[in-house]
Amino acid sequence: MAGMFPVDVGPQYEGEAIRKADFYVEFGGPDVKSKFELVTLKTMNEVEHEKIEVVGPDIPELTEGGSYPLGILIDVAGSEIEKEMEPVFERRIHLYANYIEGFWHMAQRNDIWMRLHKNSYKKGLNSLKEIGKILIFLYTSEIPIIEKISTTFITDEKKVEEFLPKALEVYKARDERLKGIREEDVEEFYSCSLCQSFAPTHICIATPERVANCGAINWFDGRAAYKLDPEGPVQEVKKGECLDPIRGEYSGCNELAVVKSLRSYDRVYLHSAFEHPHTSCGCFQAICFYIPEADAFGIVHRDFVGNTVMDVPFSTMAGQTSGGRQVEGSLGIALEYLRSPKFLQADGGLYRVVWMPKEIKERYKEATPQDLYDKIATEEDVTNADELVDFLKRVGHPWVKGEVELPV
Amino acid sequence: MTTVAVAGKGGVGKTVIAALLIKALSEKGVVLAIDADPSTNLNLALGLPLTETVGRVREDLTEDITKGSLPTGVSKQELLDMKIREALVESARIDLLAMGRPEGPGCYCAANHMLRLSIDQLAKSYDYTVIDCEAGMEHISRRTTRDIDILLIISDPTIRGVTAAARMKELMKELRTRTGKIYLAVNRVKDGLPKEIGEAINKSGLNLIAIIPEDPNIAPLEVKGAPLVELPPDSPLQSGVREIVTKLGL
Ligand SMILES: Nc1ncnc2c1ncn2[C@@H]1O[C@H](COP(=O)(O)OP(=O)(O)O)[C@@H](O)[C@H]1O
Ligand code: SF4
Ligand SMILES: [Mg+2]
Ligand SMILES: [Zn+2]
Repeated sequence: MAGMFPVDVGPQYEGEAIRKADFYVEFGGPDVKSKFELVTLKTMNEVEHEKIEVVGPDIPELTEGGSYPLGILIDVAGSEIEKEMEPVFERRIHLYANYIEGFWHMAQRNDIWMRLHKNSYKKGLNSLKEIGKILIFLYTSEIPIIEKISTTFITDEKKVEEFLPKALEVYKARDERLKGIREEDVEEFYSCSLCQSFAPTHICIATPERVANCGAINWFDGRAAYKLDPEGPVQEVKKGECLDPIRGEYSGCNELAVVKSLRSYDRVYLHSAFEHPHTSCGCFQAICFYIPEADAFGIVHRDFVGNTVMDVPFSTMAGQTSGGRQVEGSLGIALEYLRSPKFLQADGGLYRVVWMPKEIKERYKEATPQDLYDKIATEEDVTNADELVDFLKRVGHPWVKGEVELPV
Repeated sequence: MTTVAVAGKGGVGKTVIAALLIKALSEKGVVLAIDADPSTNLNLALGLPLTETVGRVREDLTEDITKGSLPTGVSKQELLDMKIREALVESARIDLLAMGRPEGPGCYCAANHMLRLSIDQLAKSYDYTVIDCEAGMEHISRRTTRDIDILLIISDPTIRGVTAAARMKELMKELRTRTGKIYLAVNRVKDGLPKEIGEAINKSGLNLIAIIPEDPNIAPLEVKGAPLVELPPDSPLQSGVREIVTKLGL
C-alpha cells in the first residue's frame, strides 16, 4: 500500500505500541473523559460515500504532547448489512487503526485510547482526515458488503459529551441483546482448564447460559481467550448433540469430561445438581447445597461469614465440594449463574432455592421472581434446618407448597 | 527483548541494583521496569511517581466480577489490557509497572492468567524488562512474566546469604520450564571478598559475576530522599552494575 497514504499500512504494525515519549498527540485514554467510537448502520440515502468530516480542531491545531477528546462515528450502508453486524464492524476500528504505521489504538466503546507517533506525523499523517481515508479504504476493501461508508471525527469536547449518552445507550442495548443469547443459538461452548493444577479432574464449561465457576470466564471471555491464544487453557468445545435439553447434557461436553477428568467422569449435566453435576475445583464464587430437611437448595457465597443454615460455614462446605469432583447436591457456581434462565433448570431453578445470605438475596433481587423473593429465608430469618422448615411453611414457599413442577 | 530478574533475600540491595541496571540499560534501549515487591519502592529509587498497581487492578476486577457490573460485550482480557496500560508509569526511556500487594484469599487463577498475558504482551514492545523481585520467589515462580533470560541473585557477603542464593538457584530450576542464565553478585563487600565466602560460592556452583563494595555515596542520597539513580557515575555501585552489564553482554 506504499504511496497511497503518507505512511505504510498493514498487519505488520498491529503489535506496535507507542510510548509516551514518542507520541505527537494522544486521543482518549485515562486522562480524557470524553471519548467513544460507534459504528451505525444507516440507509443508502443517509450515507454520503467516503465523506470524512472533522468536527472541532484537527491534529495541526492541537498542541504536541497533549491528550484530547475524540468521538469516532462511522456510518455504513449496504443491502446485505444487518443491524447485528454493527459491533463486529466497530471492532474493526481497533484492527484497522493498528494497521496504520505509527498509530496505536486500544480498547473499545467509551474506553478508547489512541496515539499518533511523532515520526508518522512528520511523514504526513497530520490530519484525522488521513486516518479516515485509511480506515475507509480498509473497510471497503476488506468488507465488500459495505456499499457506502462515511466517518466523522469529533474532537470538540462539548460535542463529544453531547453524543456520548447516545453511544452509551447503544452499548447497553447491545449488552442486553448479548445477555439474551441461549445455548441453542450457538455451536461452541468454551472450556477452561486453568485450575487443573490443583484439581486435576476439573474442567469448567462456559456456555451463553452458564458462567464458569469462578465467575471470571463467561462465554464471551471464553471466545475472546480462545481467539487470542488457541493453544492456551481456554479451548473451544463443539457442543455436539443435545442429549438432554433440561439437564443440559451435550455429547461434546461428555466427550470433553472423559478426556479432561482423566476418565473419572463420562457425563456432565450443566444445569442440575444431581447425578452428574458439573465438577467444582475450589474457585467457585458460591456453593449451591442440598438441604435434605426441605428437599431444596441453599446458596452461600465465599464472603459470607458465620454459619449457614446447615450449621457449618462456607469454608467447611467448600472443603466438601472442591477438588474437581462431581458431588451430588453440592455444586460450585458463579454468582451470575443465578441470573441464567437455565439455573438448575432440571431441579426446579430458583424456585427450588430456600435459603441465601441476605447480601446475595438483595443483590439478585431483580433476577428473582416477585412471588418468590419474600419466601427465601436468610441468616436473619433462620439459623438451622428446623427453623427453616417452619419458616418455609409459614411463608408458603412455592416449592414446599408443591406448586413448582419440574420440567420434563 | 531481554528479561532480567533481580532476586535475593530482603535488604541485600536488589532495589538499588535493579534501579541502576534499569538506568544503565535505558541508555541502550527502552526499558520496562517491573516492581514485584509489594512494598513498591523501585519507583522512589528511579525517581518516578506511582499511582496504580497491578494488585489494585486485580482487586477491582474481582470486585466487578462479584458485583456482575462488567459490560457483557467487552472481554475481561481486553479490559485488563487497558487497565495494565493505565497502571503503567511512563517516562522518557523507562516505563514502570508495580505489582503491588499479592491477592487475598479467594480465587485468582483466571485473573492472574489474564494479567500475565497482558503483561507479557506489554513487555514485547521493550528492549529490556527488569524485574525487581520481592524477597521470596513468588513472582518468579508463578506471577509476572513467564520467561526470564537472566536471573541475577544478589547476596550479602555472609554464608547465610550464599546458602540462600544457592537454594534460590535450585528452586528456580525446579519451578520454571525455561530457565535462562543464573548469576550471583555479592553486594556491600568491605575490604575484599572473605576467603570463606569465596570458597562457599565455588562449592555452591553459583556463577559469580560481580563483587560490589560498600558504597559511601548512598547514605547522603538516602538522607535527602533523592532517587538512588543519582549516584555519581564513579561510585562503587555504579561501577559494579556497569561491570554486570558488560559481562552479561546486554
Ligand atoms: N553497596 C551498598 N553500599 C551501601 N548501602 C547499600 C548498598 N547496597 C544497598 N545498600 C542499602 O541497603 C539498603 C537495602 O537495599 P535495597 O536495595 O532496598 O535492598 P532490597 O531491595 O534487596 O531489600 C538500602 O538502604 C540501600 O541503600
Ligand atoms: S474456576 Fe475459573 S479459572 Fe478455574 S477452571 Fe474454571 S473458569 Fe478456569
Ligand atoms: Mg527492594
Ligand atoms: Zn479453580
